[in-house]
Amino acid sequence: MNTWLYLHAPQLLLDTQLALQTPAQQQQPQVLLAGSRVGARQVVQYNQAAAAAGIALHMAEVTATTLVAELQLRPYQVAHEQSILEQLAQLWYQDIAHIALYPPQGLLFEVASVLRLYGGFQGLLQQLQQRLQEWPIRYVVASGDTPLRARLLAQAGQSLLSNDADSVQQAVAQLPISASGLEPVHITRLQQVGITTIGALQQRHRSALGKRFGRTMTEYLARLNGELPMPQQYYQPPAQFSQQLDLLAEVASWQQLLFPLRRLLQQLEAFLQVRQLSVRALLLQVKHRDGQHTEQVIRFAHPVWQLKDMLGLTQLQLERQQLDQPALELALQAQRLEPRQPHHGDLVQASSELAAPTQSLGELVSRLQARLGEQAVQIAQPQRDWRPQQVQQWQLWQAATATAMAMPQLPRPLWLLTTEQAIELQQWQLQWGPERLASGWWDDTPCQRDYYIAVDQQQRQGWIFHSEQGWFVHGWFT
Amino acid sequence: MAGSPEWAPVALHCRSSYSFMRAASQPKELVQRAIELGYQALAITDECSLAGAVKAYVAARNSPLKLIIGSEFQFADLGCLVVLVQQHQGYAQLCTLITEARRRAAKGSYQLSSQQLLAASAQLSDCLLLWRPLSDKAFADYYQALQEAFPERLWLAYSRHYQANDALQYRRYREYQQQSGIPVLAACQVYYHQPERQPLYDIMTAIRLGQAVTEVVDQLLPNHQFCLRSSTELQHCYPMAWLTEASTLSQRCQFSMSELSYQYPAELVPVGRSADDYLRELTYAGVTQRFPTGIRRDVQEKLEKELNLIAQLGYAYFFLTIHDLVQFAQQRGILYQGRGSAANSVVCYCLQITAVNPDQIDVLFERFISVERDEPPDIDVDFEHHRREEIIQYIYQKYSRERAALAATVICYRLRSAFRDVGKALGFSEAELSYYMRHIDRRDQQLDWQQQLQQQLPQLAQTTRGRWLLQLTEQLRGMPRHLSQHVGGFVIAATSLTQLVPVENASMPERTVIQWDKDDIETLKLIKVDVLALGMLTALGKMFKLVAQFHHRQLDLASLPSDDPAVYEMLQKADSIGVFQVESRAQMNMLPRLKPERFYDLVVQIAIVRPGPIQGDMVHPYLRRRAGLEPVTYPSTEVQNVLERTLGVPIFQEQVIKLAMVAAGFSGGEADQLRRAMANWKSSGELRQFEQRLLEGMLARGYSADYSQRIYQQICGFGEYGFPESHSASFANLAYASAWMKCHYPAAFYCALLNSLPMGFYSAGQLIADANRHHIAVLPADIQSSDWHHQLIPLQAQLAIRLGLCIIKGLNGERCRGLLAHRPKGGYQYLAQLRELGWSASELQQLAAADALSKLSGHRYQSQWQSMALTHQQLPLLAQLSDAETDDMPLARPLEYQDVAGDYATTGLSLRRHPLALLREQGRLKGCRSAAELPLLRHQQVLEVAGIVTCRQRPGTAGGVAFITLEDETGLINIVVWQTTARQFKQAYLTARLLRVRGILERHGEVIHIIAGRLSDASSELDQPLLTKRSRDFH
Repeated sequence: MNTWLYLHAPQLLLDTQLALQTPAQQQQPQVLLAGSRVGARQVVQYNQAAAAAGIALHMAEVTATTLVAELQLRPYQVAHEQSILEQLAQLWYQDIAHIALYPPQGLLFEVASVLRLYGGFQGLLQQLQQRLQEWPIRYVVASGDTPLRARLLAQAGQSLLSNDADSVQQAVAQLPISASGLEPVHITRLQQVGITTIGALQQRHRSALGKRFGRTMTEYLARLNGELPMPQQYYQPPAQFSQQLDLLAEVASWQQLLFPLRRLLQQLEAFLQVRQLSVRALLLQVKHRDGQHTEQVIRFAHPVWQLKDMLGLTQLQLERQQLDQPALELALQAQRLEPRQPHHGDLVQASSELAAPTQSLGELVSRLQARLGEQAVQIAQPQRDWRPQQVQQWQLWQAATATAMAMPQLPRPLWLLTTEQAIELQQWQLQWGPERLASGWWDDTPCQRDYYIAVDQQQRQGWIFHSEQGWFVHGWFT
Repeated sequence: MAGSPEWAPVALHCRSSYSFMRAASQPKELVQRAIELGYQALAITDECSLAGAVKAYVAARNSPLKLIIGSEFQFADLGCLVVLVQQHQGYAQLCTLITEARRRAAKGSYQLSSQQLLAASAQLSDCLLLWRPLSDKAFADYYQALQEAFPERLWLAYSRHYQANDALQYRRYREYQQQSGIPVLAACQVYYHQPERQPLYDIMTAIRLGQAVTEVVDQLLPNHQFCLRSSTELQHCYPMAWLTEASTLSQRCQFSMSELSYQYPAELVPVGRSADDYLRELTYAGVTQRFPTGIRRDVQEKLEKELNLIAQLGYAYFFLTIHDLVQFAQQRGILYQGRGSAANSVVCYCLQITAVNPDQIDVLFERFISVERDEPPDIDVDFEHHRREEIIQYIYQKYSRERAALAATVICYRLRSAFRDVGKALGFSEAELSYYMRHIDRRDQQLDWQQQLQQQLPQLAQTTRGRWLLQLTEQLRGMPRHLSQHVGGFVIAATSLTQLVPVENASMPERTVIQWDKDDIETLKLIKVDVLALGMLTALGKMFKLVAQFHHRQLDLASLPSDDPAVYEMLQKADSIGVFQVESRAQMNMLPRLKPERFYDLVVQIAIVRPGPIQGDMVHPYLRRRAGLEPVTYPSTEVQNVLERTLGVPIFQEQVIKLAMVAAGFSGGEADQLRRAMANWKSSGELRQFEQRLLEGMLARGYSADYSQRIYQQICGFGEYGFPESHSASFANLAYASAWMKCHYPAAFYCALLNSLPMGFYSAGQLIADANRHHIAVLPADIQSSDWHHQLIPLQAQLAIRLGLCIIKGLNGERCRGLLAHRPKGGYQYLAQLRELGWSASELQQLAAADALSKLSGHRYQSQWQSMALTHQQLPLLAQLSDAETDDMPLARPLEYQDVAGDYATTGLSLRRHPLALLREQGRLKGCRSAAELPLLRHQQVLEVAGIVTCRQRPGTAGGVAFITLEDETGLINIVVWQTTARQFKQAYLTARLLRVRGILERHGEVIHIIAGRLSDASSELDQPLLTKRSRDFH
């Protein structure tokens, strides 16, 4: 009886990227390259258009690009692929409880119990495939009497689905030794003595093999035959907070929902407390009589975990919202869970007195944003640039970085006009200058100006400049 | 306005591109701009370096501009100091200061503290100092010490660039002056010659900091005022008094590079003798050796002419120096050969510097040493590759590190490095840049790289960043990046070298380089001795030893019989694999056409198969004339004198130069400039300035426009690859020597070549295949009989080659030689004995995998299986027991193809049957002709061939043609692939290991090509037998 199923997706990362592209884009030859040094990288995944142009696995970057000049190259990212694998597991967790991750490209299913449910391998496979409708990845599935056999077959591209353990064993015996999953050095050694299939390996005496290859070899053979149990770490979906409440009676406005919401937030506070997490956003979902949903996202400018903070800020944001239809059910989902941090990273070492103002500033900004909208609260960030018009830029509070990037001390007016105003030079008396600024050639707003400090007829001290366009005042010192 | 009418600007603090990424103009650009602006003096003051000084000197040489030599130093506590040279003594002092600072630090950096500088002040008595104090504190801390150390020779260097702190700085310098009495002058700090270079300077800053330019804005300068400014601008900028102070200072700097005079090391001449006398004595001593039957009268006349010329120009010491080196090499038994214009002379032949008999070649006397051009003689000496270090150590020992150092090579930005660095500094990603670069084909002769990019990626040039990428890459190209060491050019001085030029550390430990490159050395007429390495000399040395050992015949380069017809007969058949210089595919194609019959033909052949002559459309006329298909004509008797020995076709660099003189009226000096321009025409385009001069000159002397244009094209073609006759002659000598060895002692020839790899065009496998074709038996590496190196062994009244263990990949030579020394007399008795005698488990594995243990433990599978069991050190008794392994069935013997594959995997070659023979036997190559069949087929026949791809070539000169060499079991097949065919079958063309080609046979005399019509990749055939084997095993 073959109770194991192994799924191998050799192009998982690329396939996932392709799924997000337009059909025209998918027709472009594209590959993923592995290897750290540019120039010494190799093709590890490629799409059909690339294959049609002659690209092959492990081809050197330079050969591939010579072959197909318009080839799209992207780096292969193993961490990324692994997280995709987890998403796959999460997807299929609804169908199969026992899934083991074989990162970055494989999943092992223990299927003894579900085979009957789906009426055999074909039914099961259909169920799995159904979940992939929006996600066309290429994969190979193989069954096996032991996890290792199923895996070797799938990785070798043989999609053998059978209840017959003998046929699996025969198929595995015929696999080349290069597909054995043994260490590369052992594979080479075996090939060098003419042992070129897994079957040939199994024909050798185990003690003779052990003497030459050590315990890893005997253990390998034992695992292959299922003599050594392979403890599997089965997939567990991540902790999520998602709760709902029946409201018993219809509720017509957000304000009226605050009371039941409080209960849900209490649960959330407990959930966060146990896990030492904080939250940056909440998803509120109300269900209406006709089965429709209304969703509302609540975002926080700083991570929160206490009931009073969450409730207070939610309240502020809901004040401006209308509920179109009465609600029957309320659901709360915590989004953007984060491990709790003492405070901001840059203040880790600071004492609580020092931290307090930032904290209250954060709270203030949260409240301001709750009232006025995120866009309304911005911070001036000095930029490293010689061009006065580029030095100051406004940015979203959340986007601002902690480190200030200031230029060296320069005589600059406190009040810089947003737009320069043309002036008549006769009405000005030059006091100092010029400070010649010629910079920024690299973008579309280069600057070539001679700046002077000068006083106008009202004895106001201004910062004026001369450029190809004439004379302008750019700021005031007084 | 202000100032005396005779006042003219001076710039006392200019960095050039030789401050490496800290300045954005070449010395020449600075000098030319200064001349345009009417400067009276310009100081080139690179940071702790004089690497740009000679270049600036050349540019300023014939102008009214005074070039001041100086250098800038940065101090963490003091600020910046500029040291300027007054007289010759000051120059030597500055060289020493730079040398000391450089020698204290690793390559590319320097170390000089303010204390060290103050301590060395007595050794800077003839230098002037400009000071830019770091801060008020730096000034307060150091002004008295500096004033005492440099009385009347210290200035404060004020420089104004319209920055925010101008007024403050001005006040500070005034206060400094009032406080200390140190005068202030206007120093004019310059980082580039004109304001348009600001972007390049900013990009260099970003590259230096390793970040995008937008990330380092605070470290860029705020404007473009660090250029050379006009006198009006300067008068606006500085008080006149400070300007005149600078001008007065510049009067005190009187040193000129032209005062430097080089003196040869004198110790080679016995006390009381003159160098000329001594050289004459040595030369005539050589005459009796070289011409035992007496010297011919015309040769003696030439010898006298040479000696007189050497005496007239004072070059005797140079010849004595080289003579001393080759004497040392002779004593040590190191093979060598001199080459270069001065090497092929009777004097050098008699001094044993070269073995080229001047009887055999009529080198232009003018090229020997040109009086007219007054250029130093040129002799390079090649030594056996692995023994060159002995010569270098001898030089250091004899002359000391004080007096001998290597010349520098300036490493400059090339297209790709410039493109990548500029791109990164503009914030392009690595992936974007390699994508763009893939659209640049540097072999494209119609479009330059910018045009190619604009044509293929028009969107790139539509963005600001894209335009800057194109523009700044072009500007950065050719800018120096750093100094490196010349391959072998030594400069040796009579006294301390550091009086002449600063010396710094090279990246190789214990090597030092001077700050000048070969052009600088030539400009100042220093003498450079080139000590180079040549693999073929190593091989010839080994051949001579083998012949002495096995044939009891003593040979050396000079004693080989000359003009041996058998040798030329062999070469005419293109049987030249392994022969120096004429073994490449192009050379092999030429041999049956040119049919060399005597030494001079080889000299021509070596020079003719070069990109240069092909571009100039001159090869075919030579062949046609030689074959008598075209009359040999000369447009004039002057031209006839120059070109007669090459049938009216210019082939050598010397001839082109001479032509420019006799046919276009160039003076000796102009011809010399032309020669230099030819050497680097691609990078600078300098050659173009000679085009008109040459064409007009030739037309005026009655030559046709067509002929003149052809001569000009010829010069352009020579540019990069032009081959001087004198070099060609020396190479031809080695070509002849190696051909002679191949012809008469083939076993020794192949054995020595195999032991000298890597060298030449061919791999060990290809050389062995050629040896087999010449009926030389080659025996496999074997633990019982092989040494580490390949050796000759007598076999059935002949000599065979026994491969050494060195052929096996991954073995360590030193260890193996040690272990082989303890091999039992009768060989090893059993496998475990190897372990007992010290071979490691992994070495055993490698030996077994390479089938070198077969005499001990059976076929290669069984050998490896058994040696794997010997991983741990075991007692002999137990080892014997475990070898029996009754519980395990024996492994099957490998099939032939498996053995062949095993051989290739472990040694890169196989002595068994060729893989193609196996495939043909199995019927996998139906319809394919073998290489051996080709000579029997007719011209223009359509056919199919197959072979292992051994070589893919796309010569820059051959337009859209590529050459592929295929190897089958019978020989090599030459395939010509046109660009369209290559494109159509791109995958097979680029990646196939085993290629099938359908095409048309073309025959020119004995040269056969297949013009490819269709390529198909048959590489999978090579892997297929393995599959059949697997299935056979387990059914």
